[in-house]
Amino acid sequence: MNLTTALARLLIFPGLLFAVPAAWFFLWVERKAVALMQGRIGPPFMQPFFDFIKLLGKSTPPREGIAGLLMKAWPLIAVSSAAGAVALLPVLPSYGGFEGDLILLLAVLEIPSICIIAAGFSSRSIFGEIGSAREAVLSVSYNVVFLLAIVSIAASQHTFRLEALAALPASPLRWLGVLALLVCLPAKLHLNPFSLPNAEQEIYSGPMTEYAGPELAMWELSHGLEWVAATGLVATLAAPHVTLWWLAGLIFVALSFAIVLGLSVLASATARLAIDTTVRFYWQCTLIFAVLAISSALFMRLKS
Amino acid sequence: MNILVMLWKNLWGGSRTLAFPARPNVTERFRGLVQFDPKLCSGCAICKFRCTSRAIEFKGGKGEFTWSYDPGQCTFCGRCVEGCKDHALSQQSACPPVYTTIGELKTSHTIARKPPAAKTAPAAATSPIAATATPVPNPASTLASGGAQ
Repeated sequence: MNLTTALARLLIFPGLLFAVPAAWFFLWVERKAVALMQGRIGPPFMQPFFDFIKLLGKSTPPREGIAGLLMKAWPLIAVSSAAGAVALLPVLPSYGGFEGDLILLLAVLEIPSICIIAAGFSSRSIFGEIGSAREAVLSVSYNVVFLLAIVSIAASQHTFRLEALAALPASPLRWLGVLALLVCLPAKLHLNPFSLPNAEQEIYSGPMTEYAGPELAMWELSHGLEWVAATGLVATLAAPHVTLWWLAGLIFVALSFAIVLGLSVLASATARLAIDTTVRFYWQCTLIFAVLAISSALFMRLKS
Repeated sequence: MNILVMLWKNLWGGSRTLAFPARPNVTERFRGLVQFDPKLCSGCAICKFRCTSRAIEFKGGKGEFTWSYDPGQCTFCGRCVEGCKDHALSQQSACPPVYTTIGELKTSHTIARKPPAAKTAPAAATSPIAATATPVPNPASTLASGGAQ
């Protein structure tokens, strides 16, 4: 990959020029779908964009000292890492993505979550601290399953490289891994029934309670980019290998859209679970599922 | 699985909310904007005393008083209307209008104080002149307010 292609990937597709509107679009799809299923009209198409612009125009309360600087830095780091994660996705298999593998993508995808935890504690708000503690517990719970799912996919396909994974035909074990990833997505995106960290009507908005103005706009954008990156990762792994670049792009967008709709249905149909139930779910039920997937993948690899 | 059936019905059953700027139909006893009739007001300021959200302001002066109402601060609780012995206050049976400028709906009335009614002898209280000078409470509204309590 030369420099021009790399810049095009980072800035145009699937980078910033695609990812930022896609983030707003996914946020709108989720809000609109939930509203329609609850018998409401829901927001207009441009609402996430208007929200972003409106927040950018607001002023933030002055915060002194290192805590104030940190509170400004966390959302920027979260946006940068989420945008980087989107740019890593090998959406166009004929040209390949950035030189990165699944492990790098997972690491970059995890940074926004770490930023949220740090932001809640930096804000010195009781609601922020509770939200951050919940996010930390949730992160430890679902990440084990998330990592095992990724490892099982990599073990079954004999590679960690994203480009190679996108090009290889899917094996049955890869589908099992994709299913495990799908189970983790609601927790990663703070959706019901795993919306503990930002539990509205309970701890206000958790780590985001003390945020306002442009900083909150950055958090919203980061959340939208996480949507694109996380659904895009599953779409990349689940999409069939196609040589036509435009068809590959179309399949990627359609699959991402379908995942967003599925997650919206889940969010509408379920209520928020308590922290102990959530942790039990991931450690007892899903962990067994993920361990089965990885052991089968390793067994198959040893056999072949 | 009942929840999925419910969601499916909601999805195709139309919306229960309205798109801006449409307003919902209200009931007859809906508590909307407070209406003020300067002709009936005697300037007792009991409405200001009863207004916990400080939407009503009252400034007394020599020979006149100023009554102000800010719907932006009003909670439409109706306590001012209940407490108005002169029946100078009422509430609209309609949703308050949408406004874009702060204080756009604020109203203010400066009214000249009415001269105090001449004290009459108890025997003359039943005379037709005294009856017209003293405001007679509306029996229907007294019943309605009594029923609401």
